[in-house]
Amino acid sequence: MTSAQPPVSNDFWRTTRRSFTAMIRRDGFGLLALVVLALVILGPLYSVVLWAFAERWRYPSLIPTEFGFKFWEQTFSRADIAAALPFSIVLSLVVTALSALICLPASYAFARMRFRGRQALLLSFLATNAFPRFGLYISIAVIFFRLNLIGTVPGVIMIQLVNTLLLMIWIPTAAFQGIDRSLEEAALDVGASPLRVFIQITLPMVMPALSAALLLTFVNTFYEAQGALLIGLPRIVTMPVLMYSLINSQLVTQYGAIVSFVLWLPSLLLLLVAQKLLRGGYLTAGFGV
Amino acid sequence: MTTLQTSPPSSAWSRWRGAILAYVLVAPPLLLMVLLIFIPALQSIVRTLTIDVEGQSGFSFSRYVAFFNDPISVSNLVFTFQIVFLTLIIIFIVCFPLAIYLRFAQGRIAAAVQILVLFPLFVPGIILCYALIRFLGTRGTLDTVLSIFGVTEYRTPYLKPDAIIIGLVWESIPFTVLVLTAGLRQISDSLIESARDVGAGDWTIFRRIILPLITRPVLIAFSLNFLGIFGSYTVPYLLGPAAPQMMGVFMQQTFGQYRRPDDAETQAVITFLICSLVGLLYVRTVASQRIQQEDE
Repeated sequence: MTSAQPPVSNDFWRTTRRSFTAMIRRDGFGLLALVVLALVILGPLYSVVLWAFAERWRYPSLIPTEFGFKFWEQTFSRADIAAALPFSIVLSLVVTALSALICLPASYAFARMRFRGRQALLLSFLATNAFPRFGLYISIAVIFFRLNLIGTVPGVIMIQLVNTLLLMIWIPTAAFQGIDRSLEEAALDVGASPLRVFIQITLPMVMPALSAALLLTFVNTFYEAQGALLIGLPRIVTMPVLMYSLINSQLVTQYGAIVSFVLWLPSLLLLLVAQKLLRGGYLTAGFGV
Repeated sequence: MTTLQTSPPSSAWSRWRGAILAYVLVAPPLLLMVLLIFIPALQSIVRTLTIDVEGQSGFSFSRYVAFFNDPISVSNLVFTFQIVFLTLIIIFIVCFPLAIYLRFAQGRIAAAVQILVLFPLFVPGIILCYALIRFLGTRGTLDTVLSIFGVTEYRTPYLKPDAIIIGLVWESIPFTVLVLTAGLRQISDSLIESARDVGAGDWTIFRRIILPLITRPVLIAFSLNFLGIFGSYTVPYLLGPAAPQMMGVFMQQTFGQYRRPDDAETQAVITFLICSLVGLLYVRTVASQRIQQEDE
């Protein structure tokens, strides 16, 4: 059907029409998928965004009855939100920095050094994915419970660090492995010191991958809710943890919507560089693929 | 590695020094992983199998017997299995056609579909739950739209098992499609064309060429989704019913609300044991893929 035969007399119209219907049919699936996905994926978010800017929204109106920013002031004057937002940002930065400090030297070693058990040790980090996550958190929580780490900042930092390991080791390892070593060797040959070669040649080449790893780690940590909920409560409350109570109490619909909207902003940043992340293969690296 | 390297002549001592340095560099993350994954998991397994009787500890299955004699625990475990299997089936029904479409289609529509498929990756779980409540809940967006078309008897899936499945499928679409599409890209166009030239139909091509080549991506998607759903908490907690509960919600409640860490631990170990085979499958599949890639 798709074979391109030279059009002969009235066969021409038949093949054209056939390939045209074939195209419709092929793109038809695309169109159908597009419409359904748009409804299913963007539909829920449509409600959140509009609720964030609604003063009043009466059923059964499709859009808010009154738009406005009244609830933004109220939301951010709430003591719990005003405290949780900066705390969450600082916590995520600290976890990301610690993760980089722990993992980046290791990833360099995995990529560039030869030692016994290298492959097995690198693969062992898959264990972070191979457990049912919440069951593992419970196991950790039982130990933290006896060590009095429940409700402490170090406890939350540690449980969030576990989640960052795979990404922060596998993405940079792949990057260090992927670079062309001839440039480094040339620089060494003309007398550059190894440190200078590393800073001026190696580092710039792996920078895209390193920034992707840092960005993904920061955003993932910022949104990490389950570990922080289990280990952090009652004293440590991050923004995502706060969302649980905002959803459950449902005092004012707008609070949840506005917090969701604000929480979502870092993720939109990722969306802007999504194509780059996808092409670099970074999006699936966190799953060990 | 087959490339020749112009490395300086290395004595046994300098090789040793290099290896020691390497171990020092990889030690911190490994230590963290051992301390926070292997030791807690092992300790939980050992502790749930021991019992203290008058100061003496001995081997016992009593905690597990108690779990399986408790109707609520068992119904939660069964419920978790039902959700896992239903969700997995729906995930593959939704994601397979999308992955095949994205592998072979070109043009603007395909690009737009790709963006939408990836979109859930950038929506954190907690926001998804809030959004789905607003969308699916009574007097939510869907209810409103339906009422405009004259449908008045909308019954919300919110707080029912259906809502858990919807949320979990929504979350896993990007990863599953990404993995399946990546697998499909390994199949060259020329291979399919030559099969077509010798008269193979769409179904034969799918069964004989596509299917064998994407076994690995399918296994990875299956195992990670299985583990992800079994270990999920946020979606079933916020969207699901109060009873029965999925294991994540059940464990959290046992640990956090009822303050019974021992029982929570037993529940956790039961999820470990159930998921251990799938976890092994995941590690083995990724490992074999990686080793093959390094050899190439």
